Amino acid sequence: MIKASLRGLLQRKLRLSLAVFAIVLSVAFLAGSLVLSDTLNARFTALFSTINQNVSVVVAAKDPQAVEPARLTDAQLRALSEVDGVKAVSPDVSAQGVIPFRATDGEPVSADAALGFGVDGNDDPLGLVELREGRWPTAEGEVTITAHTAELAKVKRGEQLKVYLPVLNEPRSFTVVGVAGYSGGRDSLAGEVVVMFQQAFAQQTFYGGTGLYGGASFAAEDGVSDDTLKQRIVEKLPAGFKALTGQESSEEQSAQVGVLFDVFKYILIGFAVVAGVVGIFLIFNTFNIIVAQRTRELALLRALGAGWGQVAGSVLLEALIVSLVGATVGLAAGIGVAAAGEAAITSQVELPAAGLVIAPLTVILAYLLGVVVTLIAAFVPAVRASSVPPVAAMRDVVRPDKSLTALSIVGAVFALPGIGLVLLGAFADLGGTAFLVLLGGAVLVFIGALLLSPLLARPIVRGLGALIGRGSAGNLGVRNAARNPRRTAVTAAAIIIGVTVIGMTATVVQSFKTSLEDIMGDNIGVEVMIQANVTAAPDGRQGFNPKALDQVRAIPGVKEAAAWHFDALGVSVAGQPQAFGIFATDVGQASRMFPFDATDGQIRTLAAQELVLDDNIAETLKLKAGDRTPVVIGGVTRDYTVVGVYQATPIIQGILVGEAAVADFPGPLAFQGFVSLNDGVDAAPVVEKIETIMKDYPGVQVGDRQSYVDQATASYDFLLIAVQILLLVALVIALLGILNTLVLSIVERTRELGLVRAVGLSRSGLVWMVTVESVLITVFGVFLGLALGVGLGAAFTKALMTLEFATVIAIPWLELGQYLLAAVVAGVLAAVIPARMAARLNVLDAISYE
Amino acid sequence: MTSPVIDTPAAGAGAAARAADLWKVYGSGEAQVIALRGVSVELERGRFTAIMGPSGSGKSTLMHCMAGLDSATRGQLAIGDTALNGLGDAGLTRLRREKVGFIFQQFNLLPTLTAEENILLPLAIAGRKPDPQWFKTVIETVGLGDRLHHRPNQLSGGQQQRVACARALVSQPEVIFADEPTGNLDSRSGAEILSFLRRSVTEHGQTIVMVTHDANAASYADRVIFLADGQIVDELREPTADAVLDRIKRLDVVSSPTGGPDGPPGQRTAEDSPAATATGASE
Repeated sequence: MIKASLRGLLQRKLRLSLAVFAIVLSVAFLAGSLVLSDTLNARFTALFSTINQNVSVVVAAKDPQAVEPARLTDAQLRALSEVDGVKAVSPDVSAQGVIPFRATDGEPVSADAALGFGVDGNDDPLGLVELREGRWPTAEGEVTITAHTAELAKVKRGEQLKVYLPVLNEPRSFTVVGVAGYSGGRDSLAGEVVVMFQQAFAQQTFYGGTGLYGGASFAAEDGVSDDTLKQRIVEKLPAGFKALTGQESSEEQSAQVGVLFDVFKYILIGFAVVAGVVGIFLIFNTFNIIVAQRTRELALLRALGAGWGQVAGSVLLEALIVSLVGATVGLAAGIGVAAAGEAAITSQVELPAAGLVIAPLTVILAYLLGVVVTLIAAFVPAVRASSVPPVAAMRDVVRPDKSLTALSIVGAVFALPGIGLVLLGAFADLGGTAFLVLLGGAVLVFIGALLLSPLLARPIVRGLGALIGRGSAGNLGVRNAARNPRRTAVTAAAIIIGVTVIGMTATVVQSFKTSLEDIMGDNIGVEVMIQANVTAAPDGRQGFNPKALDQVRAIPGVKEAAAWHFDALGVSVAGQPQAFGIFATDVGQASRMFPFDATDGQIRTLAAQELVLDDNIAETLKLKAGDRTPVVIGGVTRDYTVVGVYQATPIIQGILVGEAAVADFPGPLAFQGFVSLNDGVDAAPVVEKIETIMKDYPGVQVGDRQSYVDQATASYDFLLIAVQILLLVALVIALLGILNTLVLSIVERTRELGLVRAVGLSRSGLVWMVTVESVLITVFGVFLGLALGVGLGAAFTKALMTLEFATVIAIPWLELGQYLLAAVVAGVLAAVIPARMAARLNVLDAISYE
Repeated sequence: MTSPVIDTPAAGAGAAARAADLWKVYGSGEAQVIALRGVSVELERGRFTAIMGPSGSGKSTLMHCMAGLDSATRGQLAIGDTALNGLGDAGLTRLRREKVGFIFQQFNLLPTLTAEENILLPLAIAGRKPDPQWFKTVIETVGLGDRLHHRPNQLSGGQQQRVACARALVSQPEVIFADEPTGNLDSRSGAEILSFLRRSVTEHGQTIVMVTHDANAASYADRVIFLADGQIVDELREPTADAVLDRIKRLDVVSSPTGGPDGPPGQRTAEDSPAATATGASE
C-alpha cells in the first residue's frame, strides 16, 4: 500500500506541487515572522549587552514614566558606591528627546533615538565611551558629541551646535568642545544621536536640581559575581529604585525595544493564517481531484482486497508527505523572508550584527502548521477515496453529485443566526460589546456563506455569464463554470476569503475617512492644525510651548489660535482612571471652533476646578451639571465642578478642564494647536509661517485640514495596505487553485473539447471558452466576497456610528472596482496554461480518448 | 490479385470527397506502421457509402484523413472543391464548420446543453441561424420532437445518437462522416439510426460516409468499399447483407498473410505490421 502511494505521489507531482506551494506560503510567513522577531531580539540583546558589557549591576527608577520619577541624591549614590565589591560607578544623568539641529540648514536631525547625558569631565569609568578629540564639557555652554552625531549634524569641534532641550522646551546653542566614540572604534551603537553636557547643567535641566541622578551602573571587583553585588546593593537600595544585573538589564531593554517591531510580526502571522486557511481549500481541491482521477485505481486496490482504511490511509500518507515537503521548503523560504525583513529594518536602524536566529520552536511550529493544515484539508478526500466501491474497477460507476440541500441547510444554520448577531451588533446600542457580538456574527455569516456558496454558484455564475458569455464559445464556458457548483465554489473560496477581508477593511477605512472629512469640512472653524508627535503617553512634557502661539496670533489673517494641553498619565475622575486622559484649553474659544452641543449645563470658558465632559463619559461616571467630583491630575487631587455636558461627536469627545489646570499637568507643553483664519484668507502661506515658528519644536507638525485628515487616517491606510498585500497572497493561491481545477476539467472533458473542435470551434474559440470559465470562477468569488465584505464592513461602521466614531457608511467603489479588475486579470492568467493545453489537443485523439 | 484500385476518378467535380494515392504512416524506423498504402477513392455526391474491413484494415484512418481530422503522410485529399492539403488548423476548422458533419460511436454530446442546443451547436459556433423549415424537417426525420429540451443524461443511447445525427444533418454539410454509428447501440436502435441516414440520403440528397464492421449496417448503403491492410481491395454496389458477408469471407481469404499485397520497396509487409495498433484508435 505504501509503495503504491509513493509511486502515485511521483506521478502526480505537478498537481501536488500546487498543494505544496500553498503550504510553503503559509509556513514561510509563519517561520519568517518567528525568525525575524527572534533575530531582531538577538540583535537588540547584542546591542544592550554591548552597552552593559562592563556593567555588573544597574540601578534605575522603578517607574521611569512616572510624573516625578525617583532620583538618587549625591548621598545615596555615595552610599551605593561604598558597597563592598564595587570597583567603579558610572552615575546616570540622561534624558531622551535631546535633538541637535543641523548646522547647515537648521533642520532637526532625524534619528530613532536622541539622548542627552551629563558627564563629570572624567573618562567613562566603565570604558564604553572614549574621547577621540578635544575634551569633555566643563562649562554650561559646552557639549561633547559622538562622532555619528557630528556627522549627522554636520558640525566640527569648535563650532556652534543648536540643541533642543526637552524639559526647557526650547533650543539652546552650545560650543562643541570634543568628539567621542565607543570602544572598538564605533561611531554609534545603533544609529543614535548623543549630546553630552556638563553634569551640573544636565542635572539642573533634566532633573530640576543639581546633585540628582537618574540611576547608576556599577562594575564589580574581580572575584565578586554580578549576582552577589546585586544582592549587596539591593540591601542599601533607596525606595523607588530597582537593581538588575547587567544581563537582566540588557534583556529588559531589548524586550522593550522589540515591542516596536511586533507589528511586523503580527502582519506576517496574519499572512500565515490567511495563506493557511486559503491553502486548506486549495489542498482540499487538489486531493479531491486526485481521488476523482484515481477512482479506477482505488477501486482496483479495493477489488484486490485493500480495506477502506488502507485506501483512506494511502491518501492521508500522500498528504503527510506533501505537507512535510511543503513545510521544509516553507521553512527555508521563511528564513529568506526573515533575512529580507531584517535587511529592510537594519537599513533603517543601525544594529550590531547577529546571525539569523532559528529557534527549535520555530521549526516545530512550521512543521506543525504544514502538517495540520494539510491533514485537515485531505481528510474529506481521504474518506471519499475509501468509499469508492470495488466494482468501479470494472465499469464506470456513476457517482451522482450529492444534493446541495444538506450542505445548504448547515450553511443556513450558520448564516441566519450570524446575520442576526451582525444586525444586533450594528443597530442595537450595546456599547463596546457591540464589536464582540458583531465579530461573532461576522464569523458565523462567513462560515455560512462559504457553505452556501455552492448553492449560490449556479445562479450567480449564470447571471454574470449573461454579461460576458457572449457567443457560443463564451456560452459553453459559462455552462462549464455552472456545471459543478461544488467545484466552482471550492475553487473560488480562496478568493471569497481574501476579498471579504479586504472589502470589509476598505469599507470601514473609507467610511472612517469620509466621516472625518465630513466633520472637518462642515462643522469646524479650524483651518490650520498644529500637532505634536509624542513617543510616550502625552502628558505635557512633549509638544510645544503655548507661548509660541502668540507669534502665530501675530500672523496677518489669523483670527484665533488655541492651545490644547493633554494629559493621559495617571488621570482619574470620580475615582475612575481615565485612559483617554484629560484636555485643558479655553473651552469658550474651543466652542467657537468645534461643534459643542450642550445637553446639560453650559459650555463656556472654565475657571479653575471646573470641567465639562461628553455625554457618554457623563453616563459612565454618572455625572451631571452641578455635580462636584474628585479629579486627579499630575498626582494632585482636587474637587472639580461639572459645568456642562456636551454631545460626543467623532471629533470632539472627552473631559475638558480650563487652562488653569495645566499647572497640575506633568509638563507645561501644549499637545495640539488650532488656528482659525479670517474669511477669505488662504491657509497655505499661514501654514508655512507657522511651520517656521514651530521649527524649534522637533516632532511638532503643522498642516491644513486635509493634512490633518490624512494624518489621522494614515494608520488606517497602513492597515489597508497590509490587507491589500494579504489579498495579493490570497489571489496568488486562488490563481493556482483555479489553474488546478481547470486542468482537471480539461482532462475530464477531453472528449467534449474534441467534439466542439470537430464541429468547427476554432482554437481561439476554445481558449476563450476556458478563459470565460476561469474568469467566471474568479468573478464569482469576488462578487460574493465583496458582498460579504462590504456588508460586514457597513455593519461595523454602523456600530462605530453608534459610538460616535463615524458619521456615514462610505463604500469605496473605486477600490472595489480595482479588486474586481485584479480578479479578472488573475482569472485570465489562471486560464493561460489550461487554455493552451486545451487548444493543443489533437482533435482526433480527443474524440477517441477513453 | 489484380489492382485493388477501383473507380478511378474520372472528374473530381462530381465527388463530395476524394483521396488520391493516400498514404498514412505512423512512427518511424522499427516502430513504423503503415495504415494506408496509396488509397485512391471518390465518394459520390448524394450517395451513402460504407467503408468496411477487418480490424486494423485502416478504414477508420481513411475516414479520419478524408474528414480532415488526421493528416495524410502523402497523397491528395479534397472535400468538394476544397483541397485539404496545406490547410492549417484555422483552414481545417473552417472546413469542418462549413462542409463536414460527424457522427461518432460514443455519441459525443455536450452534457451541459439540451438536445436542441446540441443539435444547433455547429450552427451556433459558425454564427449561423438555422433554416427553421429544415430544422423542423430534421427533427421530424429523427423523431425527437418531445425530447428537445432534455439533457443528454436524460436520454437513452438510441435517442442520444439520434440527437447526434440531427446535429450532423442540420448544417447540411457537403459530407457527413459516421464512425461506427451503431457500435454502441442495441440492434433495434441501430436499425432506426441507419434508417434515418438512409432516408436523409434518399430524400434530401445528403452525402454520407460510414465506417462499420457490421454487414447488416453496410447493407443500408448504396456502395460498400472493402479495405484490407491499408488498401482498397473490393467494392460492392447496391449491397445486401448476405452479399456483404460473402465478400468479407472472400476478403479474409485474400488478405491472409500469403496473399497480402506487396508494399513499396523498403516498407515492411503486412505480416509483421500489426495494423491493429495503427488503427487501434477506432476500435
